[in-house]
Amino acid sequence: MKNVNVVIVDDSPFQIALLRDLLTENGFNVVGEAGSLESTIEVVTNTKPDLVTMDMTIPGTDGFECTRAIHEIDSNIKVIIVSSMMDDEIVRKARKIHVSGYAQKPVDAEELTLLINRIMSDEELFLELEGFYSDVFKEALLNVFNKLTKTIPEIVNESNVNVEKCSKGISIVMGVIGKYSGRIIFDMSFEAAKDIAKISLKREPKNNEEILNVMAEISNMVAGNACSMINKKNKIFGLRVAPPTIFHGESISISKAELGLTYSANVKTQFGDLSISIGFGRGEGEWMSII
Amino acid sequence: MDVNYINPILSSFVNVMPQLGLANVEKKGMSLKGRFIESPGVMIIVGIIGDIKGNVIYGISLNDAKKIASTMMMGMPVENFDELAQSAISELTNMLTANVATNFSNDNIIINISTPTLIHGQFTANSSSDKVVCVEMGVNDMVIEVNISMEKNTM
Repeated sequence: MKNVNVVIVDDSPFQIALLRDLLTENGFNVVGEAGSLESTIEVVTNTKPDLVTMDMTIPGTDGFECTRAIHEIDSNIKVIIVSSMMDDEIVRKARKIHVSGYAQKPVDAEELTLLINRIMSDEELFLELEGFYSDVFKEALLNVFNKLTKTIPEIVNESNVNVEKCSKGISIVMGVIGKYSGRIIFDMSFEAAKDIAKISLKREPKNNEEILNVMAEISNMVAGNACSMINKKNKIFGLRVAPPTIFHGESISISKAELGLTYSANVKTQFGDLSISIGFGRGEGEWMSII
Repeated sequence: MDVNYINPILSSFVNVMPQLGLANVEKKGMSLKGRFIESPGVMIIVGIIGDIKGNVIYGISLNDAKKIASTMMMGMPVENFDELAQSAISELTNMLTANVATNFSNDNIIINISTPTLIHGQFTANSSSDKVVCVEMGVNDMVIEVNISMEKNTM
């Protein structure tokens, strides 16, 4: 793991000295310290740390206000609360403002080290996923189409913009669950679905339900294959796909989701076009604490 | 479909709704549907994987969705079902389903939930299961349909 640069925010010079020794001994770079809101903003702006340890009680401000100020400077900076106070109210508020973890004073060196390492490896893991997920999905999609239709679709209009989308008629939605949760959506017109179903079945589809079922199964295979490939790269991802639900009708608007990563593209096949949209969230459910 | 899947959903409404200023929660009815679910205007789908797998598909009329979003945003008027209102409703179903997961865990059934996907317009949803239990929940004077399509995960 890369070096982790840490800023300590605490109003007590004694606590700062304790934490500085503890963190340095365990291989972290302490790049700055602050004891007020103003100095926090200044130090964080100047040193651009990866992580900040945050006391709760600071004269003239508090840990929450300082955390918000840090995230205004850079929302990627991880904040962990290191405080002697600890109750449900604080934890609830802390989670709300995207604090990454909590350690109660007096801090145990081994536990704090583990907490920081887990938070930072989490960040690296998400970046790892960001690096390859779209390629994996493309590969899975091309594979499935090649096997079913002996043709290779062309992938165009790739985008990472997260916007509301209008369906062409059929939307197949699958939730993804694992280290990071998300969703996968396949969208197509009814005509494209009919033609793709026909070539996959090697006969005329019996009815509309069969067309929808074929498309759901194709989407399920692509999503399942892609998630398996991602899990093979790193088993920590542990991604699994929930069963597909098919939406079809006159007008379907799919809301943008609150996701950290989104990828969408149009897939041009010889039998008609479809589009895919994949998104992963950072998984705020993973709250880490040592208490 | 095991009826034990229903109680965690009822408790979740009782736990979550009052926190959002929606105090009156009641079960209005329960029915068994086939695979097809007509959209009342807005549907939100949350995937479930774990000891059981499937989907929870919430259905709300556009008007009720706007009213709920408005209450969640401290009474701010919601004229159009815009991005902010959509986000509030997505978040609501996320909270409800997360609470369902917690309720299941009390019975030693471990499940995880996916990111919600919100869809609105005129459409029909085809569930992956051909047996869908629909629980109709009354929340103040509004109605939220909870369509449950879940099965034991034998994998």
